[in-house]
Amino acid sequence: MNRGVWAVLLWPNLLASSVPLDCREEQGILSRCPSISQEKLLDRVIEHAELIYRVSEESCSLYEDMFIPLQFQRNQVGYACITKTLPVPSSKNEIQQISDKWLLHSVLMLVQSWIEPLVYLQTSLDRYNAAPEMLLNKTKWVSEKLISLEQGVVVLIKKMLDEGMLTINHSEQGLLQNGVQPQMLESVMRDYTLLSCFKKDAHKMEAFLKLLKCRQTDRYNCS
Amino acid sequence: MMRKVILLLLLLCFTAHTRGKLHSPPAKPGLTSCRSPEKETFTCWWKPGSDGGLPTTHALYYRKESSETVYECPDYHTAGENSCFFNKNDTSIWVNYNITVVATNALGRAFSDPVEIDVVYIVKPNPPEKVTVTVMEDKGWPFLRVSWEPPHKADTRSGWITLIYELRVKLEEEIDWEMHLAGQQKMFNIFSLRSGGKYLVEVRCKPDHGFWSEWSSTSYIKVPDYFHREKSTWILITVFSTFTFLILMWLLHMNRHNLKHCILPPVPGPKIKGFDKQLLKNGKSNQIFSALVVPDFPPATSSNYEDFQVEYLEVYVRREQELVLEESKDLHNSCLKSESSTSDCDSGRGSCDSHTLLMAKCREAKEGERQTDRECSPMRTEAQRRLKDWEEEALNYAHAGIVSLEMSSGRVKTWPSVFSPLPRYSSSPLDQQSSLQMAKQLSLSTSSYLTQPGHSTKEALGQSYWDLCLSSKQPHLLNPPTPVCRELQAHSDVNISSIGHKRAPAGPRSPALHTTEYVEVQRVDNKDTLLLQPVVQGCGRMGGCFQMPHGEVYSKVKGVDSDNVLLLQREGMGEDRCPCVEQETNEVTGSCHKSCTVSTTQKPSGCIYTAVPVRDEMATMANGYVDTATMCTLHTC
Repeated sequence: MNRGVWAVLLWPNLLASSVPLDCREEQGILSRCPSISQEKLLDRVIEHAELIYRVSEESCSLYEDMFIPLQFQRNQVGYACITKTLPVPSSKNEIQQISDKWLLHSVLMLVQSWIEPLVYLQTSLDRYNAAPEMLLNKTKWVSEKLISLEQGVVVLIKKMLDEGMLTINHSEQGLLQNGVQPQMLESVMRDYTLLSCFKKDAHKMEAFLKLLKCRQTDRYNCS
Repeated sequence: MMRKVILLLLLLCFTAHTRGKLHSPPAKPGLTSCRSPEKETFTCWWKPGSDGGLPTTHALYYRKESSETVYECPDYHTAGENSCFFNKNDTSIWVNYNITVVATNALGRAFSDPVEIDVVYIVKPNPPEKVTVTVMEDKGWPFLRVSWEPPHKADTRSGWITLIYELRVKLEEEIDWEMHLAGQQKMFNIFSLRSGGKYLVEVRCKPDHGFWSEWSSTSYIKVPDYFHREKSTWILITVFSTFTFLILMWLLHMNRHNLKHCILPPVPGPKIKGFDKQLLKNGKSNQIFSALVVPDFPPATSSNYEDFQVEYLEVYVRREQELVLEESKDLHNSCLKSESSTSDCDSGRGSCDSHTLLMAKCREAKEGERQTDRECSPMRTEAQRRLKDWEEEALNYAHAGIVSLEMSSGRVKTWPSVFSPLPRYSSSPLDQQSSLQMAKQLSLSTSSYLTQPGHSTKEALGQSYWDLCLSSKQPHLLNPPTPVCRELQAHSDVNISSIGHKRAPAGPRSPALHTTEYVEVQRVDNKDTLLLQPVVQGCGRMGGCFQMPHGEVYSKVKGVDSDNVLLLQREGMGEDRCPCVEQETNEVTGSCHKSCTVSTTQKPSGCIYTAVPVRDEMATMANGYVDTATMCTLHTC
């Protein structure tokens, strides 16, 4: 039920444009860019990440129930994640030691690295004969939401870190080509790998952002 | 030799068997589960297989997803036996672990199946802690407030782990639990409690991607007894309505008699005058019925007609009945009698339209009386001769003009005293004299009525007539000369009851009337004066008027003297004819009637004029017939 509530709450974001507004450069026009506080922005970003994770988890379990019946197959996907090469902290100790900047950048990296693969996943699922429509809708929704999350993180970085606009360079993310596993030529396994890896990374994003939020409010008590 | 080899083999087998289990390499162990309570550490448990009879050691090796380095379990003891505990430093999140357990004994090794785990997905938190249940009130209704804390190890504050909670409640004596999902909140209210019940409450939690924790320890709470406000209201209403009901019943009981009368009205008992129910109950019928007998009822023959309270009588004579009437005076008399006896007319229309009845009766006696009629007819002239004699006698009597009353159909419209019915004739021969006498009597009686309206003589009119008739056997005498248009339409306003009929002495016999002249009584005024108009024989209707008197002899009523004698005067011929051509339509009836007023000074023929002022209010002219014979006797000319 919570996921449904999230989906309902964030549905207007489906129509949102994916280009972040550049409000800082235009000093005179304040009305065009309604300002938002940092805390609220962070909360919004966290809500986005939570919802993305929930939807991705549902998609993955849907796919599993339909196409991956055997348990041993489910266990094999761990190694094929495309983002494993990314320098993302993977333990809580590391996360606690990492700075805010790195947290945000990690999140951004993750988000940016998944935009293209999700599009690929979408096209791949469309080719299926018996793919349930709900699965397709969810994956589509996730890919759209991810783009808005990226925008949010970019703005957050700019606000929190006072850094300049980071160029969104998707061309550098040639992970898909690198991550092709020769033993997983079957589309089913490939798609499942994509889904499960994305699910994991979505959870990562959510965790990072929540930790970041905790640090903003109470730095010393956050583990 | 052979036997020794066999024995050796048997010994070896036996010894091998007696040694127990055979040594063998250990069986393959199996990883049962790996769990992380807070997503920071995790523990894996395995189950060892058969050890093969030799001491076996187990080792857990794991490999992370991105490297080929095999690590061994760092801690075998913290988590207990056959477990491996990974602490914070060794735990990587979002990293697949490939874990394998190896069992080793002297004879060999055994590898378990590798297990891929990601710590994120194996989180099973500890149950919630510090579960407190309190009873709180909400507008008189109690409810339970359950609050708890997340397991202390789970880092929910930083958002590292997000937990959702669930609690369950049941009454102590029940079996099934009532589940409530609380979401991420750490407090929950339970409503709809049973008064005085003992409840058990448990809470558990789960991360958004993981396993449910175990249920927390049971918390007991007892709900205090509370009174249903609704129940108290209903009790109040019930008591009040019972009270009202009792009061109503009491009131009904007090008024049960009235109620009974209302609902079941009593049947009215018989109300017969003089009827005594008690006598009836006593059973003495003689007394009862004697009490019923009204002394005055039934009225005797001489009963007074005053009781009838008839204002006036209408005599209606039909033309076709005239002949019959002429010849059947007895019939008429009898008819009259019967009529009078039977008539209860209080409207004056004496016969009550019992024309047919009367006629029937008349006809019955008709034939019987024919002879007498015929006998009577020759008596006519004789009667006329005796008029004078009678006249003298008549002075002593106050005679009202005997007006023969023709009642054909029994419709008596005439003043009873004035209109004499056809006399009833007895079997004895009746002289004209006697008839005259009767006429005298009649006139006498009639005059008495005239002068004394309040005369209380109770004499039936008919009686006088009958007496008269008795005296003479000449019914014809009293018959109107002409059978034609003998309609008597005299309405007498004089109360018949006031008309006392004197019982004419049966003795005196009036002289036989030999004349068949009649005088019509026109009106009777309020002074009880009678206006008579002589009836002309053979008169016929003219223009709707009544008969035009054109007879030679007719009499007028001159007056009534002190002796209550109606003085009749015989008018001169022609001159005194009533100007009956005049038609005066009475206001009331509108019928043609003659209003001949006779003035006393009209005819100085020496006759005694008796003028009777006419009553104007009379509805119609009374056509009375006065026996001219009598009038002639009165003639003093």
